Amino acid sequence: MMPAFTPEQDRFREDVRRLLREDAVRAEIAQARRVPYGQEPGLLDVHRRLGKLGWLAVNWPERYGGAGATIVEKAILTEELIRHGVPDNVHLLGIDIVGMAIHLFGTPEQKERFLPGLARGETTANVLFSEPDVGSDLASLATRAEPDGDGWRLYGRKIYNMKAQHSDFGLCAARTSTGPVNFSGITLFLVPLQSMGVVIEPVWNLSEERFDLVTLDGIRVGREDVLGEVDDGWQVLGRVLPLERTGLDHSAKAERTLAALREHAPPGCEQRLAQLETRVRAARLLAWRCVANLHAGRPDEVHSATAKWYTSETAKEVSAAAVELLGPRALLDARDPEAIADGVFDAALREAPGLTLAQGSSEIMLYFVATSKLGLPT
Amino acid sequence: MTATGTAAIADFFDEDLAPLVRRMADRPRADGQDDDDNREIRSMVWEGLVGLGALDASDTVRLAELLGSVLYQGPLLDTLTARELVRGDVIGQAPVALAVAAEPWSAEDGAVSARRSFVGFATEVDYFVVGGVDTAGLRLALVRADHPSVTTRRYEETGRGEAYGVEFAGTPVTEWAGSSAEWEAALANARVRQAAYLVGLAQAALDHAVAYAKERRQFGQPIGRFQALAFRLGELSMHIDATRMLVHDRDAAAHAAANLAAASDLARTVTTRTMQIHGAAGMRSDNDAQLYYRRAAVESVRLGTPFQLRRESWETR
Repeated sequence: MMPAFTPEQDRFREDVRRLLREDAVRAEIAQARRVPYGQEPGLLDVHRRLGKLGWLAVNWPERYGGAGATIVEKAILTEELIRHGVPDNVHLLGIDIVGMAIHLFGTPEQKERFLPGLARGETTANVLFSEPDVGSDLASLATRAEPDGDGWRLYGRKIYNMKAQHSDFGLCAARTSTGPVNFSGITLFLVPLQSMGVVIEPVWNLSEERFDLVTLDGIRVGREDVLGEVDDGWQVLGRVLPLERTGLDHSAKAERTLAALREHAPPGCEQRLAQLETRVRAARLLAWRCVANLHAGRPDEVHSATAKWYTSETAKEVSAAAVELLGPRALLDARDPEAIADGVFDAALREAPGLTLAQGSSEIMLYFVATSKLGLPT
Repeated sequence: MTATGTAAIADFFDEDLAPLVRRMADRPRADGQDDDDNREIRSMVWEGLVGLGALDASDTVRLAELLGSVLYQGPLLDTLTARELVRGDVIGQAPVALAVAAEPWSAEDGAVSARRSFVGFATEVDYFVVGGVDTAGLRLALVRADHPSVTTRRYEETGRGEAYGVEFAGTPVTEWAGSSAEWEAALANARVRQAAYLVGLAQAALDHAVAYAKERRQFGQPIGRFQALAFRLGELSMHIDATRMLVHDRDAAAHAAANLAAASDLARTVTTRTMQIHGAAGMRSDNDAQLYYRRAAVESVRLGTPFQLRRESWETR
């Protein structure tokens, strides 16, 4: 359900909106969507502005660059960033996934080392989980960490990650030991990316942002770079992944595309628009239920899976409906002078397939709900 | 065209040529705008198809499905429609693009002025069939594409293909081409072919997904062994079968708008599912899954959106 926002939280939302509507910020966002292909931006000035105010990771303690607020304020920020069209992957990866994992499981030294830079919008991080042969079945990953003195050297290939070219470090899952059970023996490392022993190559794809193939060729990591316990990365993954799955980013994307669709749809398709609107409202409620769970300290994996599935499938449906209702006009790229709604429909259509794959595919969410919620046999 | 003729064209798109054909109008975003190699392939494919009698095909619906199955992109389908509207001795075997819209134009003193959007392959055809509405109702004119009054601009769009905005600024009419009623009939046939093209495209996308489901292993087995995926693929196959029946039915032209809407839904659904089954690998530029997905988006709204087509079909039933 939707939390009852406090007057302070409402004010925070207004403050964020005001900042995002400043001419210079809007110009930067519009520009970021029109850069030549292959030159996607990393952190923007708007991230640094928000970082300086302590808003980028607003729920982190002040000593780590946040404002000591709650997850509700963080969710408000995320929602407004996406509603205003700020490219969100760099923020999602750096703050919501890697930063949060460090915040929850890092040592005090790791928090000091990594969090302030992330929170100020000065550094960013990415996620190195998937491999050429490992997607949903993460427990079978092949990247190995070979003992080297009191540390390790990493060997393997990570693919379908994003923003490696802009990231200072990556959260990398690697195998430290093998045993009869696949998911034991995985360790999470915080790996510097812009260094010898790491090769980053672009993998061009459907979406606006490139994938990266990251080859780990013996980069050395030490005990101080392990997040959580050695061989126990699965526990961390099991706690962090559901936390990032509030679905709020997807519901905000669906809202943004639908708002543009409402503006441009021809007369006569009100029924379809009404149907989509209800669906998007439900998506937002499911997402905020997860935020409320986190705020209450009671994360609920079934709620997370439900929200992730419903919100991403909804965003996908809205993007498909835009083509169905608007026709070829919906397909114009932001870079085309005749593009409508800043090219939001083309961007949404090209982003849509990834929404139901990344952060846990729809199939994994469905399986989880079928088995954990409905109790169907595994 | 005889059955043998279609078979000859199917043979023409062999395993060496088919991968080139699939990408013959795809300009990768990061590679700049140079399209010379693709233009050469398109020209060669056009010559090959004309040489095999594609312009005089008797079963153009089967031909269109075949073209969809190799993701052919070029002026052939538009040219087939134009040939229903223009005398063959005027255009010979020249490629033609359709630039028809039920929108105002000026067509006085034997010259047309109009702006038409989403015209395919505008820089590679010899003629346009331009259509517009004035006090005389909807009329069509054949004009030469190389006249200096014609200007084109390629769109930046999801399909990354050859879609253009075309401006006709007093372009001389070579010949008046068909009445409003003839356009309606030609449009119905064009829609049947477009629907068949989409069925072919959907089948090719499904084949791509099925091949991957057999080969890709997760959780210790081919992903196609998971019933959730297997059932979904089976369902798509049945939907393709059903839509194929619609487009090849004797009555297809009478239901052209409704059938095209169905084929449009089919193509977008199948290609979206094909993407999902491929996971992130399907998003890669070098994977055909994303190509089918993007082409389905473009091709499924070429002759009307499903929304318009259904309304039209309901109102005229």
